[in-house]
Amino acid sequence: MTRVGVVGWGVYIPRYRIRTEEVARLWGDDPQRIADVYLVNEKSVEALDEDAVTIAVEAARIALRRAGVSRERVGAVYVGTESKPYAVKPIASILIDALGLRNDILAVDMEFACKAGGDGLAAIAGLVEAGRVEYGIAVGVDTSQGEPGEHLDYSASSGGAALVVGRDGVAAELEAMYAYASDTPDFWRRDGSPYPMHGEGFTGEPAYFRHIIEAVRGLVSKYGYKPADFTYAVFHQPNGRFPLRVASALGIPMDRVKPGIVVTHIGNTYNASALIGFARVLEMAKPGDRILLVTYGSGAGSDAFVFRVTDVITERQRAPAPAVEHMLRNKVYVDYAQYLKMRKMIKLLE
Amino acid sequence: MTGVYVVGAALRPAGRHYGENIDDMAAEVLGKALADAGVDIEALFVASSTTELVNRQQILGAYILESLGIDKIPAFRVECGDGSGGAAVTAAYYALASGEYGCVAVVGVDKPNDVLSNQQVDVYAAVMDTYFERYFGFTPLSHAALMAKMYLKRHGYKYEDLAAWAVLMHERGAENPYAYFRRRVKLEDVLSSEYTSEPLRLYDVAPLVDGAAAAVLCRDRRDGPRIMSVAVATNAVPFNMRSEYDTLYSLREAAARAYKAAGISPRDVAAAEVHDSLSIFGVLAVEGLGLAERGGALAALKRGGLRVNMSGGLKARGNALGATGVYQLVEVAWQLVGREFKRADGRYGVVHSMGGVDRTSAVIVVGL
Amino acid sequence: MRHESVPMYWRNIPQYYRLVAKRCRQCGAVYFPPALRCRCGSAELEDYDELPHEGRLVEYTVLYQVGTDFLKQKPLIVGLVELNGGVRAVGQIVDAQPDRLAPGTRVELVFRRVAVDGRHGLIMYGYKFRPVQP
Repeated sequence: MTRVGVVGWGVYIPRYRIRTEEVARLWGDDPQRIADVYLVNEKSVEALDEDAVTIAVEAARIALRRAGVSRERVGAVYVGTESKPYAVKPIASILIDALGLRNDILAVDMEFACKAGGDGLAAIAGLVEAGRVEYGIAVGVDTSQGEPGEHLDYSASSGGAALVVGRDGVAAELEAMYAYASDTPDFWRRDGSPYPMHGEGFTGEPAYFRHIIEAVRGLVSKYGYKPADFTYAVFHQPNGRFPLRVASALGIPMDRVKPGIVVTHIGNTYNASALIGFARVLEMAKPGDRILLVTYGSGAGSDAFVFRVTDVITERQRAPAPAVEHMLRNKVYVDYAQYLKMRKMIKLLE
Repeated sequence: MTGVYVVGAALRPAGRHYGENIDDMAAEVLGKALADAGVDIEALFVASSTTELVNRQQILGAYILESLGIDKIPAFRVECGDGSGGAAVTAAYYALASGEYGCVAVVGVDKPNDVLSNQQVDVYAAVMDTYFERYFGFTPLSHAALMAKMYLKRHGYKYEDLAAWAVLMHERGAENPYAYFRRRVKLEDVLSSEYTSEPLRLYDVAPLVDGAAAAVLCRDRRDGPRIMSVAVATNAVPFNMRSEYDTLYSLREAAARAYKAAGISPRDVAAAEVHDSLSIFGVLAVEGLGLAERGGALAALKRGGLRVNMSGGLKARGNALGATGVYQLVEVAWQLVGREFKRADGRYGVVHSMGGVDRTSAVIVVGL
Repeated sequence: MRHESVPMYWRNIPQYYRLVAKRCRQCGAVYFPPALRCRCGSAELEDYDELPHEGRLVEYTVLYQVGTDFLKQKPLIVGLVELNGGVRAVGQIVDAQPDRLAPGTRVELVFRRVAVDGRHGLIMYGYKFRPVQP
């Protein structure tokens, strides 16, 4: 029996994309400046009949298929999101019935801005280590909100990632983790408010950078890693610039960060952002590789995880389940009017 | 053998009857049928598909009788969706044949135009399996379109061949004073109309109309055409599990029994009214009644040899849902005697009344 | 559309979410939607949760006249699908361009919103199909 870790992963990215150029055209921004500022070329858009629940189900189905774990052995489902279709009514319970899991398991929805998906991974790892559950599924999912024409409209997107966590059949062992949090109001959404507010530049230095850097530094010093130990480093990616800058501040070479950056192609999927990057890296990793995964949630906190890839990885990579690369390539462009309709942002009489 | 005869009848022109309540509209046509028959009835059979869904009315029979001031007699409601009419006639026939009653009336009524057009789609979708078809947005139209596609492919037809059905129905409807559409259309009109569920277009879909029809039936009283036989059959196989999609199973079963009981064959049929709520159903009904061979109805239509739906069918007369089967019975009875319609060239007529997508079919053989 | 009944949705969740069928213990026939008695005469039917989630399109149509639940989703593509192993189901086909569909197109089951009860009511989910992307 190995250490606890990731047994399987699944990503679901809705098929539709809108180019940031199209958003800029509508709101009178310079498309080139937008592309330069955010390093986001296009973002994913969910279909009219998709939401955080359907995306979570798709991602979790893929993860279970890749893991090859039977449904009866799953003892916990944790869903992290800030796009619940219901203010009150869990997603995790819908997942139980959609996946056909046992009903006598722990089902939890969590919120910590964009960090809750990764927090599920931490929680399940603890449950598995304590011997309370055999496997758990951690899902990070969002259909992130952005006010039309506002900064977030260029990046807020939709997607989900699910990780099957357990001890048996581990493809990436969890070697270490370290967390860092403080009350830093860089981004928030009040109850009943349709779009989040944020502090623009304030989301950077005191928020994203400080928390990620403190988490990684704490991890490195506590467990004795060197930046060179990480074959890949994956960070939460609200835009294309932040993860590159934070890697540079941490002394991690660019070629180890870039494979895990998906925001340029699909935008910021919030709770799925770092996890989709992580899944993509798992699909190219080799046994023995070490992966640094760092989540970030506004408000603010960051979890840093280190995974050691095992021999099982090749089997998981070959499993009959759609790869992240497939999801990234398989796309259909929509215009801003379709985007508004699909995202249910047109006010309708109902 | 007991004889059941159509001794009186009345039809309300199909249309948008915004000015009348459902019970009054039914009562008016029933009153006319009773006057036409000149007899008292001992029971009333009410055929209605949507009285609850549209009008929020139950025990409709009691309110119809209230409008006419007829006391004491029983009133029964028969609901088989858009096939309610045929089923109610069948029930009335059995009530007479049992010897319980001497004269009864059947009245069919529905008022789909009391709701908006998209609500009509909801209302009509109630004939689908509510949990596994209606829930997902499927309607008689979507499933008819699937059947049409498979039928046309299997038998080597083009859509143009099917479009001829609507042209023929409008031609017939133009001659029917009770029809909703009393104008001819050209093939190009059909071919250029909008898709409703491809390959089906606007003209493949019978309009839902407000309508009421009544017939007075008596046992052993020979002053009208005789109901020779009735048969109702159910198709208990859900759409997705059916082995064939180019035939109406419930109709074939009902037709075989009705012909046998009447002692006639399809060759004897001189007047036929079939349930073309969707054009493809009309085509399949022609085959199901044996009036054309399997896969041969559209070829017969092309040859000009199809003597069905002299009323214009549901397409031109209109689909009055639960009232439709009663319209059809009266139309066939009248065609046999040359009342309101050109007299049929023979002694026998047949009615096909269907509920849902081949869920239930009633076949009624009428003779002189 | 206003839906007055939560139980009508809730009790069919196994069918709506993951095609839970009934299978005859005697002859193995599979029924979807579930039946209570098999055509072979046996009344011993058990829940069958293993219907394949992949199959092929038998036929499809593009439906433009839709009910009130689907007014904002029209047109709907409605497909008759034969799942691997032979059991058929009718489902909406999503993420598809009608002109790229044909009988034989490979499809897979997806989980989507089906209908929403107004602005404040329940969101009702269920299976649909989408073409398998090569």
